[in-house]
Amino acid sequence: MSAPDPVSRPRLRVVEGEHYADWESVYAHNVVAVYRVVFRQVGNRPDAEDLAEEVFLAALPRLRLPAPAASVRSYLGATVRTVVADHWRRHYAAPPAAPLPDDVMAAEPDLPSGDSGGRVAGLLARLPERFRQILVLRFLRGLSVGQAAAEMGVTAGNARVLQYRALRRAAELAEEGES
Amino acid sequence: MSPERRVGRFVEDLLRNRRPRRFRATADELAAMRAAAELRASRPGADLPDPFFVDRLGRRLREELTGDAGGRSLTRRRLLLGAGTAAAAAVAGGAAGVAGDRALSAAAGRELVPEGATWQPVLAASAVAVGRAVRFSTGAIEGIVVNEGGRYRAFSATCTHLGCLLSESPDGGRLRCPCHRTAFGLDGSVLEHELVRPPAALPWLHVRVRDGQVEVLTV
Repeated sequence: MSAPDPVSRPRLRVVEGEHYADWESVYAHNVVAVYRVVFRQVGNRPDAEDLAEEVFLAALPRLRLPAPAASVRSYLGATVRTVVADHWRRHYAAPPAAPLPDDVMAAEPDLPSGDSGGRVAGLLARLPERFRQILVLRFLRGLSVGQAAAEMGVTAGNARVLQYRALRRAAELAEEGES
Repeated sequence: MSPERRVGRFVEDLLRNRRPRRFRATADELAAMRAAAELRASRPGADLPDPFFVDRLGRRLREELTGDAGGRSLTRRRLLLGAGTAAAAAVAGGAAGVAGDRALSAAAGRELVPEGATWQPVLAASAVAVGRAVRFSTGAIEGIVVNEGGRYRAFSATCTHLGCLLSESPDGGRLRCPCHRTAFGLDGSVLEHELVRPPAALPWLHVRVRDGQVEVLTV
């Protein structure tokens, strides 16, 4: 039996008022959503896999099933917040507060792939030209620092400084957008 | 090392999908790193989980959540007896104790005869009216007993799709899955479903009636 494919498996919407009967359905319905929410906050697969695992290992034994799907999802969302905040605190000395919106799990599990809601595209559009350019070359086109520097006609050192400033500016814009 | 270099190294790791190095970051660095994570995730498909990870974690959770006291052999048995998909996977993998050649037949349902099984009373025969179904639980198996005109039959009560527990419809006559609108007949066959592929028929258990008790062959 080959591994199930979470991408092509039919995703059945859990409509309001429905219940999860057991942990298997909780897992099947939410594993992709949990992974994606985690991935967006850590940006790499090894950490995202570890943290998604931590979320389910922590949350599932505490669920009293059957339970309404909405409350299970908000409990998973709260667990994601705790686990991800703890990750940043332990490994990068971040303050313990979790900078996540409350409705993080309110979204459907089968969101379109990639830049959902155009949030990143919106951020990029509001950046000054050079900042936008370096981030697009690095993150969307996947160029190395050297290649990006060559394309922009600057040194690799300059490209790195530009990248750092662009990321900080993007973070400021994201914060302004939320408040 | 400058913030530009430290964050630069972090970005490099993200773009190569490596676990980034850990360090004590300043507030400014943290803000930049979080923005980098979100940008990294915005590439189409980048934030989708690996199917093998999803499968592996599902197995790990099954072990953690069903493998309480009793150690490995009980866990294994529960695996065979538990959710239909898990049982089917274990059978396809060559596990002993279940009639494996029947596992692939969706129409007939499988026979569940676990290793070391004994007859265990599960319900009073009088508790199951003709044409009705009643659930039982032995700790090792969630099952359902059906009275078919005085002849008793027993099936696994977990849906063969994802293992949700079935219950009898209010008017009798069918066993409903609460998860995905699948319904099974009182003979274990699939009556209706909305899945891409029809789920397997319900695995069945050996049944007998002794001293007014319905007994099933199980661990």
